[in-house]
Amino acid sequence: MADDLLIPVDSDSLVESAELLAASGLAHDELVELVEFGLFEIRETATGWCFQSRAVHQARRMVKLRDSFGLNPPGMALALTYLEKIEALEHRLRELECLLPR
Amino acid sequence: MKFKDYYETLGIERGASEEEIKKAYRRLARQYHPDISKEAGAEERFKQISEAYQTLFDPEKRQAYDELGRHDPGEDFQPPPDWDTRFWQGQAHQEVDLSELFEQMGFRASQQRRQARGMDFPIRGQDVEAVARLTLEEVSRGTQVTLERPGGSVRIRVPMGVTDGERLRIPGRGGPGSGGGPDGDVYVQIQVLPHKLFRPVGHDLYLELPVTPWEAALGAQIELPSLDGRVRVTVKPGAQAGQKLRLAGKGLPKRGEGAGDLYGVLQIVMPTEISEREQELYRELAKASSFQPRPQYTGESTDG
Repeated sequence: MADDLLIPVDSDSLVESAELLAASGLAHDELVELVEFGLFEIRETATGWCFQSRAVHQARRMVKLRDSFGLNPPGMALALTYLEKIEALEHRLRELECLLPR
Repeated sequence: MKFKDYYETLGIERGASEEEIKKAYRRLARQYHPDISKEAGAEERFKQISEAYQTLFDPEKRQAYDELGRHDPGEDFQPPPDWDTRFWQGQAHQEVDLSELFEQMGFRASQQRRQARGMDFPIRGQDVEAVARLTLEEVSRGTQVTLERPGGSVRIRVPMGVTDGERLRIPGRGGPGSGGGPDGDVYVQIQVLPHKLFRPVGHDLYLELPVTPWEAALGAQIELPSLDGRVRVTVKPGAQAGQKLRLAGKGLPKRGEGAGDLYGVLQIVMPTEISEREQELYRELAKASSFQPRPQYTGESTDG
């Protein structure tokens, strides 16, 4: 339907474990291990764990790395931590580059 | 059908073992994985590598692929006469991409096995991923993008306040699920196109602010462009190169409320040609000024 406008989920909304697992392709045991590593911030609710919506993107990224390189959860956690660290540095670098003449 | 040489894509021999296929794939994935390589074309290359791997690593698909015979990459070819009935229950000889064919082959085969065992397994629909390249103005106002996906195009709202690299998710609007499985999701990655004046860093914007030496020395009122019209800033006397003038809230709007800041970065620029009269004034200034720009050099020997 061409006139059906799709609206993305709000970045503040929370995602439940089942949705995170289905959307990312992570296995339940992997998720538990990644939470134990402290990789995801969780909120405990009556129905189980809840995650920030960015966790879906992080989990999908890790699943792609897992599938490409045969990583286990510690490897996935390490790869994601490094990638995010690199991105934070790139962000800082862009900021500093803006202080220099083009 | 256009032929693709999956063995060549992975740089391996036709008789390669499973282990060799895996090794070749890992090596190339390390080189071209979109999270690792920022090289132009890396993502496209990674897709080809993944496609080749997914076909060759699955013994059933590899056998089916091998029986297509050898052709030159890109060559139009027809599968052998009985190939369809043995491997593929789809529409014979239809114009179809090899990758779709093999993707569905595994999918169909496993579905058929499940159905044969009397199980109608729920399978989640495929996710649809796309990149939206937007101008700074579009990002600041919010916009709509059209996504082409199998089954027609859809419009997606890009809310005000997204930043470069951000990913949007629309659950349940990707490919249809089967056997009662849920539909896949849609993911849109935002890429902000370069702007001729402003450089975005998150929600902040940076703008070069060139001033003359006398504007820097004496101070000045300067008009700057911003995303919502022109704004005036005051350069204080004695301004230094590299100094940032902050215009609070004149950056990109944030989701919810508030906005980033606009920074004017001072640059003291000299004209390339200096007239006789200007030179005279500079000489006079040099005589009148006791300014020492390099105090740290004094009193130190350089041969130590």
